[in-house]
Amino acid sequence: MRLAKAILLRFAFGLLSLIFISFVTFVADEIAPGDRATVEAGEKASPETIARLRKLYGLDRPWPVRYGEFLGNAVRLDFGTSYYGTKEEVWTILKRNLPMTVKIAMFAIVAAALFGVTLGTIAAVWENRGIDRSVLVFSTLGVTVPNFVLAPILVYFFSLKWDVLPQTWSTELVAPELYYLILPVLILAARPGAMLTRLTRASMVDTLEQEFIRTAVAKGVPFWRMILRHALRNAILPVLTAMGTSFGFLLTGSFVVERFFVLPGIGFLAIEAIQQGNTPVMQACILLTGMMFICVNLLVDLLLPLLDPRIRESQV
Amino acid sequence: MRKRKFDFLFWGGVTYLVLLALFAMFGPTFRHHYLEQVGQPLQPSSATFWLGTDEIGRDVFARIAYGARLSLLIGLTVQAIALFIGVFVGVTGVYAPRWVAMPLMRFTDGMFAFPDILLAILIIGVWKAGIIPVIVALSITGWPGTARLVFTQVASLKDREFVVASKALGASTFYTVTRHVVPQLYGVLMAVTMISLAGTILAESTLSFLGIGVQAPDPSWGSMINNARLQMNSYPSLLFWPCVVLSMTIFALNFVGDGIRAALDPKGR
Repeated sequence: MRLAKAILLRFAFGLLSLIFISFVTFVADEIAPGDRATVEAGEKASPETIARLRKLYGLDRPWPVRYGEFLGNAVRLDFGTSYYGTKEEVWTILKRNLPMTVKIAMFAIVAAALFGVTLGTIAAVWENRGIDRSVLVFSTLGVTVPNFVLAPILVYFFSLKWDVLPQTWSTELVAPELYYLILPVLILAARPGAMLTRLTRASMVDTLEQEFIRTAVAKGVPFWRMILRHALRNAILPVLTAMGTSFGFLLTGSFVVERFFVLPGIGFLAIEAIQQGNTPVMQACILLTGMMFICVNLLVDLLLPLLDPRIRESQV
Repeated sequence: MRKRKFDFLFWGGVTYLVLLALFAMFGPTFRHHYLEQVGQPLQPSSATFWLGTDEIGRDVFARIAYGARLSLLIGLTVQAIALFIGVFVGVTGVYAPRWVAMPLMRFTDGMFAFPDILLAILIIGVWKAGIIPVIVALSITGWPGTARLVFTQVASLKDREFVVASKALGASTFYTVTRHVVPQLYGVLMAVTMISLAGTILAESTLSFLGIGVQAPDPSWGSMINNARLQMNSYPSLLFWPCVVLSMTIFALNFVGDGIRAALDPKGR
C-alpha cells in the first residue's frame, strides 16, 4: 500500500515539475518584449494594427486564460506555428528533429553506462594499483574537460590528422548513419561516462569490504562470479540513480554536440530558434527537453524499488 | 590558529588564478587592443603577436585576456548573488515555520535537480543574448546547491551549545544567525564557491559557444572556440589557446576548492 503511495507521490512530483516548467516557459515569454502580433505586423506597424492582430490571436485576454490554453494545447502536442519561414506547425518541425536527439542521447547513455560500469569495476577490483590510478586520472579529466574542448581535440585527431571519421554531419551521407555519429556520441558520453566510472568505483570499493563478500570468498565462490553476481549487483543501485541525473548533462551536452557537428536535432533547432527570436519553436524545444529529463528520472525512481528489495521493503 | 596543510595542487591552482587575474586586468590592452584590427588575419605566433592573430587580424593574446576578464567578472558576480540567495534560503529553510520551509526546500530540490544550462537557455531565449542576461540566468540557476548545503549545515548547528548560549543571553535569532551560525560556514562556503565558480565559468563559455552568451565583437572563450571551429580545417592552432586557458582555469578552481575542503576536513588533517 505504501509502495503505491510512494509511486503516486513520485508521479505527482513529476507532473508538478512539468507544470512548473511549462509555467516558466509561458511566463518568460510574457515578460519578454514582443509577441506574435508585433512579429506579424512588422517593424513599421501602427499601434492599431498591432492591437487588431492581438485581438485576432486572442492575446488581449488575461494571462491565466491564455496559460490554460497554452497548457491544453501543449498536452495535445499543439505548440502553434513557427513565426518565420513557411510558418510550419511547430510539432511537424519537432517531429523531424526529435529522432536525432533521442538517437544520440540513447547511444550516449548506453555507451556511458557500459564504459562507466566496466571501468569502475576494474578500478575497484585493482584498487590503488596502476590501472586504478590511470582510470581515476581519465575520469577526472572526463568530468572536468568541457565537451566543446574535447570535441575539437577528437575531431582534430580523428578527422583532420588521421582522417578515419567524418568531421560533420551532412545531408548527403556516403556511409552508414552510425559512422557519422561515432564522434558525437563519444563526446556526449564522456562526461556522464566519467561520472558513472567514479561512482561505480566508489560504490564497488564499499561493497567489496562488506561481510557477505568475505562469506562468498570463504565459501569458495569463483572470483569473477563473486565480483559480478555478488558485488556488482549490490553496487549498481546508486549508479542507476545517477544515470537519471547524468541524463541531464546529456541533454545539455547535446546542445553543444549538435551545434559542433551540425546535427539536425532538438538542441540545434532550439539555438537556431533563439537566434531568430522564434519563440514558439524555442518554447516547444525547452518544454520537450525538460519533459524528457523528468520522464527519465521518474523512470529511474520507479525502477529502483523493482531492483532493490531493500527500497521495496522500506516503502511497503 | 591551527596550521593547515595544503598540497601542491592547491598552491599550483592559486598561483595560476593569481596570474589569470593579472592577465585579465592588464592583458586586454597590454600590447594590442582586444577589439582593434592590428595585423594581417590568421598569423602564427610571433614577437609582435604572441599568440598570433584571429580571422580578422585581431590579437589573440589580448582577446583571450579580455575573455578571462569577462569570465571572471561574470563568474564572480553570479557566485556573489548565488551565495547571497543560497545563504538566505538555507537559513530560512531551518528557522522559518514549517509551512514556509517545506515548500521552499522542495522547490530548491526541484531547481537543484533540473539541468541548469537548460533553464539558462530558456531565460536567455525569451529575453535576449548578452552579458546581463547571462548573469541573471546563471544566478537564477546557481543558488540551489549553496542553499541545500547551508540548510544541512545550519540545521546541524542549530542546537549546538554556543547557539543555545547566545539565545540564552538574550540575543535575537537574527543576531545569533548572522554573528554565530553563518561565520561557522565561511570555510565550507569558500570551498563550494570555488567549485561552483568553475561551473559558472563553464556554463558561461557553453552559452557563448552556443552563440547566446557574450555577443560579438566582445570575445569570450566560448565564442572564440566557436569561431575557431569554423576555421578548423586550415587553422586548427586558433583553437588551441582558448581551449587550454579554459580547461586550466576549470582545473585550477577545482584544485583550490578541493584543497580548502581537504584542509577543513578534520579526518584528513
